[in-house]
Amino acid sequence: MRPTDRKYTKSHEWIMIDGDSALIGITDFAVNELCNGNEGDLVYCDLPEADRLVEAGETFGEIESVKAVADLSSPIAGIVLENNAAIEDHLEILSTDPWKKGWMIRIKPNSKSLDGLMDAAEYDNFVAASAE
Amino acid sequence: MTWRLITTWDAAPGWNMALDEALLLGGGETPILRLYTWAPDTLSLGYFQSLQDVPAAVAFRADAEGTSPPPHFTGPLPGALVRRLTGGGAIHHTGELTFSISAPASHPLYKGPVEPSYGRVHSAIADALKQAGVDATARGEEQLDSDQSETGMCFHKSAAVDLVWAARKGVGSAQRRKGGRVLHHGSIKLFPTALESGVATVEEAGTTYSPESFAPLLLRAFRKAFAVDFEPGIPSEEEREAATERAPFFRSKAFLERR
Repeated sequence: MRPTDRKYTKSHEWIMIDGDSALIGITDFAVNELCNGNEGDLVYCDLPEADRLVEAGETFGEIESVKAVADLSSPIAGIVLENNAAIEDHLEILSTDPWKKGWMIRIKPNSKSLDGLMDAAEYDNFVAASAE
Repeated sequence: MTWRLITTWDAAPGWNMALDEALLLGGGETPILRLYTWAPDTLSLGYFQSLQDVPAAVAFRADAEGTSPPPHFTGPLPGALVRRLTGGGAIHHTGELTFSISAPASHPLYKGPVEPSYGRVHSAIADALKQAGVDATARGEEQLDSDQSETGMCFHKSAAVDLVWAARKGVGSAQRRKGGRVLHHGSIKLFPTALESGVATVEEAGTTYSPESFAPLLLRAFRKAFAVDFEPGIPSEEEREAATERAPFFRSKAFLERR
């Protein structure tokens, strides 16, 4: 079971409410799809600067592995407060700790409602079904 | 299952990239195989690649702006410069058959981790190459003679999944995954090119193929590998309009110098 303190998207991002803001990252499944267990295969990650507005479902950044570039989508609308600059220089964080140190952006959400997103159990089932 | 097949020989560089973008963003459930070539010959940068890391691209820009090319670049200049939506290194699009596949990420060809999806596509390409007398295999842990540093070229840097023969890389490939869809770019080198010295080519196996004459081998191999047939056609009006509108972007200063 993945962390139950957050919600998940079908495009494999997670979002966790943290006081008045929310942290967004990508799941272990997303990381593994990109690098297949080889953490050195992640080569670039572009994250937005503070004050950028993002809509729900909108691309907020991009990540590149040795063989693919993938978009990062925001689960909800809000304004970017900060990005996790450590990731751009240490992409292995996404493999070793996608749930805590691997957060990508902190946003001030327009609404704290996470309706429509999956909880951990639902996401586990979604991943299992998509792997069949 | 029937895939769409779009063939566009000698199309303009920006339009080539813009049509692939239109097929990535607007394609439906049916996979689309596109076979194409470029006019003029074009150097394409990978999406995340710094222009400064590709001496040929720096020289092209310097020549276009009337400034001095970098002293460490002495090769011929490409006819045009674009940036791709897909990652990886720079490719000199000449002497090759370029292809793209646009499909839902949930399609069996692309479902699951990225690396095995290359294996599936490359097995079909290897079969096409075999028909041309080339024994291509995945690089695996092999050290390649074609690997070079400092050029920024895709064919001078290799990964385990890359198709190689005679200890040299002969097929370049990269993917973009966006909005639940995949764009897969590939270049099959048919003859030597000026900016990609020392890479493997189909020609060296003894038979000269043009992009047009190699295409049927690739189609046959795809039919066999994926149990598909192809419906040849042209881009839809919507796809053509999107490509025409977006073509300048892929050659724009802003996009070329994004990194």
